[in-house]
Amino acid sequence: MRHAFRERLMLAAALVLTTVYLFPLYWMYITTLKSGSAIFASPPAFWPTDPQWQIYGHVWQSRNMGRYILNSLVIASGAVAIVSVLGVGCAYVLARYRNIWVDAGLFLVLMLQVLPASLMITPIFVGFSQVGLLHYPRLAVIIAIAAKGMPFFIVLVRATFMSIPRELEEAALVDGDSRSGAFFRIALPLARKGILVSGMLIFMQAFGEFVYSRSMIQRVELQPASVGLYSFMAPNANEWNSIMAYAAIYMTPLLAAFVLLQRGIVSGLTSGALK
Amino acid sequence: MKGRWSSIVDGKGFDIALVALPLTFLLTLSGLPLIYNVLMSLQQVDLFSLGTFWRPFVGFKNYSELFAQQETWPILANTAIFVAASIVGQFLIGFGLALMFSTNFPGASWLRGLFLVSWVMPGLVVGAIWSWILSGDFGVLNFLLRESGLINGNIFWRSDPNYSLLAVIIANIWLGISFNMILLSVGLSAIPADLYEAAELDGANAWQRFWTITLPMMRSSIGAVIALGIILTLQQFDLFAAITSGGPNDSSNVAQYWAWELSFRQYDFAKGATISVIMIVFVMLAAFVYVRSTRHEIRG
Amino acid sequence: MNIRKCAMLSALVMGSVLGFCVPAMAEDVTISVWSHDNDRPASSLVADYNKLDTGIKIEYREVPFDDLVSEALRAYSTGQAPDIIAIDNPEHALFASRGAFLDLTDMIAKSTIIEPKNYFPGPLASTMWEGRQYGVPKATNTIALYYNKDMFKAKGLDPDKPPRTWAELVDAARKLTDPAANVYGIAFSAKASEEGTFQFLPWAQMAGASYENINTDGAVKALDTWKTLLDEGLASRDTLTRSQWDSTGTFNSGNAAMAISGPWELDRMVAEAKFDWGVALLPVPEEGAERSSSMGDYNWAIFSSTAHPEEAFKVLEFFVSQDDRMFSDFGLLPARADIDIGETGQPLKDAALHVFLEQLKYAKPRGPHPEWPKISKAIQDAIQAALTGRMSSREALDEAAKKIKAVLG
Repeated sequence: MRHAFRERLMLAAALVLTTVYLFPLYWMYITTLKSGSAIFASPPAFWPTDPQWQIYGHVWQSRNMGRYILNSLVIASGAVAIVSVLGVGCAYVLARYRNIWVDAGLFLVLMLQVLPASLMITPIFVGFSQVGLLHYPRLAVIIAIAAKGMPFFIVLVRATFMSIPRELEEAALVDGDSRSGAFFRIALPLARKGILVSGMLIFMQAFGEFVYSRSMIQRVELQPASVGLYSFMAPNANEWNSIMAYAAIYMTPLLAAFVLLQRGIVSGLTSGALK
Repeated sequence: MKGRWSSIVDGKGFDIALVALPLTFLLTLSGLPLIYNVLMSLQQVDLFSLGTFWRPFVGFKNYSELFAQQETWPILANTAIFVAASIVGQFLIGFGLALMFSTNFPGASWLRGLFLVSWVMPGLVVGAIWSWILSGDFGVLNFLLRESGLINGNIFWRSDPNYSLLAVIIANIWLGISFNMILLSVGLSAIPADLYEAAELDGANAWQRFWTITLPMMRSSIGAVIALGIILTLQQFDLFAAITSGGPNDSSNVAQYWAWELSFRQYDFAKGATISVIMIVFVMLAAFVYVRSTRHEIRG
Repeated sequence: MNIRKCAMLSALVMGSVLGFCVPAMAEDVTISVWSHDNDRPASSLVADYNKLDTGIKIEYREVPFDDLVSEALRAYSTGQAPDIIAIDNPEHALFASRGAFLDLTDMIAKSTIIEPKNYFPGPLASTMWEGRQYGVPKATNTIALYYNKDMFKAKGLDPDKPPRTWAELVDAARKLTDPAANVYGIAFSAKASEEGTFQFLPWAQMAGASYENINTDGAVKALDTWKTLLDEGLASRDTLTRSQWDSTGTFNSGNAAMAISGPWELDRMVAEAKFDWGVALLPVPEEGAERSSSMGDYNWAIFSSTAHPEEAFKVLEFFVSQDDRMFSDFGLLPARADIDIGETGQPLKDAALHVFLEQLKYAKPRGPHPEWPKISKAIQDAIQAALTGRMSSREALDEAAKKIKAVLG
């Protein structure tokens, strides 16, 4: 009885906090329905007087969003693929040992992420143009994004590997498994939760990346949705309602998918294998 | 040949292969650009010489010129305040939420998912929305504060030099809650429940359990989240561009935005690179904190 | 690419050997064009041109405003510059002075389509460097004073007599400001970006100052007037961080009684402003003083690295030949005095256009100077330092003058 009450209290508190937190999201949706200058009205309107629902269909059509989103998916999937293939192993090794080399490796990995994309783009652009990678612009962007996201991924996944008891792996080795076998059969499955969450975060970040994409992908047909969005946020040509409708169309399915996914990942598997 | 292969499958070679590949990848794609920037900070950069590594060297001239500018120290101080305040805010709120959701009340897992919003929302949109929310006249924040009687006159969050940095910090904390919360949640869910049960049997109260079990077990997650938070905060750019443009009068300007401004607004690429090198010092701090935190990790 | 060229070449050789080489087999010349203008002229003109099938094909790339120059610098440095670019006029000299743009003087002299004498002096001057012409103005704009006639009436001001001097402007702003109704007297932009310079420089110029000479008494008076507007709450403090477009948005929504902005606002205002409004010339320091205004919009230029200067110039000629559509089809003012832009059938808009065309006669380019961004930054810093109260207007402008002098050398 006391338990149920506490749970309900928690739920109420969580609902309040979620509402506060989600306010900017609400404001995005509500702006899609407002007409241009109504955004600047004072006092602000919490519900539009004359909601313009047709804006969604209009933006989807006129902005050719299907193609843009497809490109975003290609780029985000590519980046996640590279990051996870290269990053998981690295994280595993960096978690497995405890010596000066590991310290140096971790330090290096973090240091390499220092510069914001806006300052990295010039050297990367120059380098890619010299090796001819700019002829394959989406691949170029995938590689650049992968490099940007890798340190993030390694650090997170390493933390996951840290929580896997070493005894399990050692037991496998004693049973005659090879090092790589122990990695693939024991460590990797146990760390899948952390890997999935980290991969998910990388995916979302890559999906929205635009600093690299807008410089390296010059052909409209290959540009991702983030660049499509950016290109109509011009200083004097802003139709904020369309811009927000664009953003809403592009992030809502993604958000829904990840709300479901994280539910499975974070709470579904209560580290059962560990016991 | 056979020996090397077997080493890769079943020995030290396996570890080295796993680490060498990604590190080479990173050194090429992030290390070289970093060197390009470091070199540029020591060179005289012509607008049209961006395509090369080799330009006339000028020693530390860019550095001495930069530090002769009166805005340099205030901007570096702003950067430190911005990072420190953002991290404290993000971490405390994120951890608080993660703990709350970890009690698994009904609906917790759904609500937790919604906290991913700030990670999914495109940075440009986040910037625009916060710039409206924080607007002095038609901003919703002022409206709510006024209606609830907390303030009388409007606060010009974006344009009052006393508030402008705080305005960006608020937006950035909102942005950072998502990944702090989700990663700390993953960390919490990895703590075996029997540890808590045992402690409870020993008569430890919730507070003691938090200090003796949760915190020590979370060490590696916390170290990772804070180190990454510092780095992400140092790369925060969209919010400055959208909310204050570093203004008014540089009161909310920070190193990363200033570097961009110098490079791409005034086309002073050497100065922009010089600032980015100074930022490396900040990141070294973060990296150091992180590596230190791994020292005391408890292997599960 | 090379392989394809070789294949083409060998096909041509084979063809001529066999005696049926057809001219149509020659590959079209491709001219790449970069511009920033959303759905406005460039993309439509490019589509029209490609329909003409002249043997020249244009490849168009829309580049976001903030990236235009950095993209161009990066591309030019790595040998990947487009053939043609539309560049914001104050940044034209940056490229022209360094030989990155093609000197068009001789080609223009021979051209029957491009006649320099047809252009307004301001826009034309922005394409020049050391007496040579490095581009052609694409369109032009300037700023003037929008005012809400209904609010004028409500506050007892004559809606047909908008303020003509700074004193009248401040006075009108005082009468029109109504905090209880969320109405400011005036909206403009003092943002720390090119927009701030764009808005302030005309004020300084009307008072006899110039960017080379920014700390005159007149310029101090101009900045003091701005400071009055902010300090007395006649304009929002967010003027310091808000763009012209966002500031004018508050005028459209009825939260400001006057606004200083350009003709790019007209379409939105016609659609959204639910009141009677008009446009007046920028008020001058005192009756009879010199008029001035700023001058915006882009210039076409050809990169000196182009492999096809002749063809690129033909494309420019085509763009210029379409200047008479600039207003009717795209809502932009052509930079030419010889084009009658006609009536739109929208009385408010037509009246406004006449004022803007009149104001254009006084429009002055920013610069031209290859280091304009640094000069502009010094001016923005002064504006912001004075308006936040960190310095007096005099000190701030002295500081700016010092920085500008260092740039000018």
